[in-house]
Amino acid sequence: MSNHDVAKTLDLKGLPCPMPVVKMSQEIGSVSVGQIIEVLTTDPGSISDFPAWAKSTGNEVLETVQGDPIKIYVKRLK
Amino acid sequence: MDDKKKQELLDAFSEKLTNAVRLYMDGCTRCGTCIDSCHAYQSMPETRYTPVGRAQVVRRLFDRYFKLSGRIAPGMNEAVEFTDEWMQQVLDAAYSCTGCRRCMTVCPFGIDTQQIQGIAKHLVNTAGMTPVVLNMLADMSIAKAETIEDTRENFEQGVKNLEAEVIEKWKSEAGEDAIPIGAQDANVLYVALAGKHSIIPAAAVMNAAKEKWSLSYFEAVNFGAFAGNPAKTKVIARRIIDEATRLNVKEVAICECGTAYRVMKYMTGDHPFKVVSVVELFARYVKEGRIKLDKSKIEGGVTYHDPCQMARNGGIYDEPRYLLEQLTDNFVEMTPTREDNWCCGGGGGLVAMGEKDFRMKSSSVKVDQVKATGAKVLCTACENCHTQLSDLNEHYDVGVKVEFLSELLADALVSE
Ligand code: SF4
Ligand code: SF4
Repeated sequence: MSNHDVAKTLDLKGLPCPMPVVKMSQEIGSVSVGQIIEVLTTDPGSISDFPAWAKSTGNEVLETVQGDPIKIYVKRLK
Repeated sequence: MDDKKKQELLDAFSEKLTNAVRLYMDGCTRCGTCIDSCHAYQSMPETRYTPVGRAQVVRRLFDRYFKLSGRIAPGMNEAVEFTDEWMQQVLDAAYSCTGCRRCMTVCPFGIDTQQIQGIAKHLVNTAGMTPVVLNMLADMSIAKAETIEDTRENFEQGVKNLEAEVIEKWKSEAGEDAIPIGAQDANVLYVALAGKHSIIPAAAVMNAAKEKWSLSYFEAVNFGAFAGNPAKTKVIARRIIDEATRLNVKEVAICECGTAYRVMKYMTGDHPFKVVSVVELFARYVKEGRIKLDKSKIEGGVTYHDPCQMARNGGIYDEPRYLLEQLTDNFVEMTPTREDNWCCGGGGGLVAMGEKDFRMKSSSVKVDQVKATGAKVLCTACENCHTQLSDLNEHYDVGVKVEFLSELLADALVSE
């Protein structure tokens, strides 16, 4: 089990396309640079969506933890 | 606005000037027949929400730069120059039109306002005014072509973890994956969306039909199209085309997403595989006797909302009705229906952009149409429409259950 110092948790379970990524991009500015957001999702697509989003926006996915829900840890880099 | 920017906008406009567009620009007689056909105008009667009113915002630029009268004596007609203020109007026109094309079906000259608003979106994009969220989503889709290798195993595991839910709906044969992925030479490459609701029911139906299928690693929706960016649209579609070609599949079946279907079927050229909507695929299964359905599962009347991008813009009307007739004896058509159906008001990127206030206000005509059916279940076959209809249902307290067609099918599957 991962042990990240989480600044904020986003519950994105069951949201329709493309809301998980939209919500993430709205919320990333609410934490400081270097802080971590924990995403809770039930979408397998988010597992590949979030790293792609992080690459295109200059942020970082630290870890993806499988399970129900899937947990994705995203660090704000800029 | 400086001359350099004006020239860029002019170049962008020129890129879109096909013969058809010239006809649309020159051919409007301002007869006004299209005015009442737009759901936004029906719900919010302001001139800027009429199809012809929206088109005029682009047409007046055309008159200035591409007509002799506009070039030599711009004051003589209604011609306008590119200015920052006018571009605001272009933005408003572009993103208050859902691209439903209902107006085109009533225009005596077949003028395609959706295509005119496609120019508006292209201009908006050239001016760097595209809503941030749409560019962000398009860029994510493009980046995924590069990050997919890093996330492949994790994605496969995430999909594997859904298999129990698929098997709950339909038992898999021994030794068969409930959600095959990366399968070479499959008959069908199924392209879903990120959510499990877009994967599980479709997987159950395909397994029940004993289909040889494979799940795509990519999402079906093309945000480049919403952002009015032809170059990005092409790159995003290319990911799926390359995957389907590499896997040597016979058909690419697009999930319940109208825009994804229309882009892949009609806007990406010829392919070595056939493109179908999953609704067409499932109708074929029933016709061929490959799946059987229980008619007693759904309670109350059922109506169907034709997604504009699948129906009016994609020609798929009969298959969803055929499927619903296998699912219920209480199917009720909306009035008006089929090519005359009202748009739900969520298309063109509006759902992704949020815009809840505008979406709710501009779609009250849709709510009246749904209420008049008296149906308890409102079925559709598009993620975008489903979200918009669910929001309308809640906002206007309509009291229906909004359902995907694939979900209704998966829940009604029976073994012989
Ligand atoms: S395409 Fe649809 S939303 Fe756009 S102007 Fe025509 S009727 Fe209105
Ligand atoms: S119906 Fe056609 S010709 Fe008449 S105003 Fe509308 S777009 Fe112009």
